[in-house]
Amino acid sequence: MNKETLIKQGGIWVFILVELAFFSIAGEFLSVTDVAFMDYGNMLLLLKQSAPIGIIALGMTIVMINGNIDLSVGATFALAAIVLLDSMTWPFMQALGDWAIPLAWLFALLTGTVLGAINGLIVWKTGVDAFIVTLGAMLGYRGLVFMYNGEQPTSHLNWTLVDFAEAQFLGLHTATWFLLGAALVLWLVMTRTVHGRNAYAIGNNREAAVNAGIRVGPHFLWNFMLIGFLAALSAVVFYSESGSVNPNDGMLYELWAITAVVLGGTKLTGGYGSIISTLGGVIAIQLLRKGLGHIGADTETVNLVIGLILIAVLFLDRQLNRRGKEELKT
Amino acid sequence: MKLTFGAVLATTTAISGAAFAASHSDTMTIGITQNNVGVDSYQTTYEQAFIAAAEANDMVETVVLDAGGDVARQIAQMEDLIQQEVDAIIIWPTNGEAVIPAVRKASQAGIPVIVTNSNIAEQGFDFVASFSGPDNITQGSRSAEIMCDRFKDLGIDGEARVVQISGQPGYTTAIERAQGFEERLPEVCPDVTLVETQPGDWNREKSQQVMEAFLVKYDDIDGVYSGDDNMGVGALNAAKAAGRAGDITFVGATNFAVGYEAMAAGDYWGSIYQSPVDDAEAALQTAIDVLNGEEVPFLNYFDTPKITQDNMDEFTKPVF
Repeated sequence: MNKETLIKQGGIWVFILVELAFFSIAGEFLSVTDVAFMDYGNMLLLLKQSAPIGIIALGMTIVMINGNIDLSVGATFALAAIVLLDSMTWPFMQALGDWAIPLAWLFALLTGTVLGAINGLIVWKTGVDAFIVTLGAMLGYRGLVFMYNGEQPTSHLNWTLVDFAEAQFLGLHTATWFLLGAALVLWLVMTRTVHGRNAYAIGNNREAAVNAGIRVGPHFLWNFMLIGFLAALSAVVFYSESGSVNPNDGMLYELWAITAVVLGGTKLTGGYGSIISTLGGVIAIQLLRKGLGHIGADTETVNLVIGLILIAVLFLDRQLNRRGKEELKT
Repeated sequence: MKLTFGAVLATTTAISGAAFAASHSDTMTIGITQNNVGVDSYQTTYEQAFIAAAEANDMVETVVLDAGGDVARQIAQMEDLIQQEVDAIIIWPTNGEAVIPAVRKASQAGIPVIVTNSNIAEQGFDFVASFSGPDNITQGSRSAEIMCDRFKDLGIDGEARVVQISGQPGYTTAIERAQGFEERLPEVCPDVTLVETQPGDWNREKSQQVMEAFLVKYDDIDGVYSGDDNMGVGALNAAKAAGRAGDITFVGATNFAVGYEAMAAGDYWGSIYQSPVDDAEAALQTAIDVLNGEEVPFLNYFDTPKITQDNMDEFTKPVF
């Protein structure tokens, strides 16, 4: 059993190593550039580019450990981004000068948390499956995005903000710090707190958790607020550097986040998963995107390859579980 | 895990081997990040033409990337191209403002950036070597000339009345195509009046409704100018339904397949031919010229000729 846990949790990191080796070797022959794939600068970029989907995927891990899912994160991401950029153009905010920046962040994070709370409350109070609730929210929140500014992009380019977002502290980009910081906090929450242990308990056996006195409804509410907050945090980190939102930005982010989580070994049925492995899943996806670009393959093949790997991972997971059960019988 | 690795290796090698067979040498390396290749046939044809043009040139190696319409992915691709130390970057912006910081990064790294097809916002002009694309003002003014020449042939250039259906408000493309037409028309046909302009939002159904309203409001309409053929065909349908299509000259500012078909059927008079192949070749050539140190105008337009029922057999049907 111990060996299996090792295979499950270590698999994604082995996979990352294989990707690195493959793209390094293939890059020598196929790439037009003389810069090595494993170049230090390129690896720093890898972490930075993993941040937008990565921060969301961390929250998705906890929601999925609960046995729930959140499909509305992409729309939440876009709406928080609009609030971030548009709020900086409001007259009273402009009067504040650069002090408007932290306030705009606050507004955006608040937007995400409130949207998450709406999902959580509906799941708690109606008992409708989270899949359906957040599917509705995905459409509804996206509708709000389009109502805000029609088909037009919402823009506000602030160079102070861009300079902050592009900064590198101890070599790591601003976005990387946010990704690693969020991962550390959530890892502590999931491994060192009652809330974290309850999340696993509820995902494993909801009825037993209720009988054990865990208040499942409020627990869900907190987690949906958390993922809403993280979707907004992801938007804050990303749009600080780009200054303009298309109304369809963030579409399919929910699926990329879920893909990263599943690659990291978290069970769709809940009760099992790890923050650190999700981080591995996110890096594996970004590595694939980067690597295929590096060796000159068509960018669209990324989707095909990730699809194949995803199926392989689920197949492997099932094989391991089945073997585990057979061992129990004997 | 063996299964997983096998799948990845097999797939990636097969694909990369097919897609890239160029060798390393002292050539110029040009990276391109496109907007969204699969989304329409203009962009698909553009990519094919770009790759073909690059392969035909021994001096050029290319890294062809597609952002899939995702701004985050496009910015990441810009960063990757900078990291790979390419000699020049061509970008088809997914969002004319969001990519400005990434373009600035490239320019700070000493890599010239060429914007293709749709320009980025003015705040980013300092960081761009050149823009290669169609000139919407010229397209508008040439449409005015097509319209005027037709009125002269029909002998109604002394009293003709024209309505305009413009693109989506706020879009530079829409504004410039309207501007070019409105400035040129009085110069070539001073006695023709533009009676009213309404937006059709690039949408065929919307412009059909706009045209229906025009037909009720005005008893005498001799010409309809629209921002592209898609909207022009919407207007044509409205006029047909009202039985007045025969009296009206329809001219668009960009030829679409629907417009080409309507021209072949004799319902639609003319438009402006904008070819994705010319667009792609112009972008690559601009990048090469910039790298060779040649003087390149900041706004480097490629030619978009007039197409009417008279000369349409010189052009193939647009792919979009």
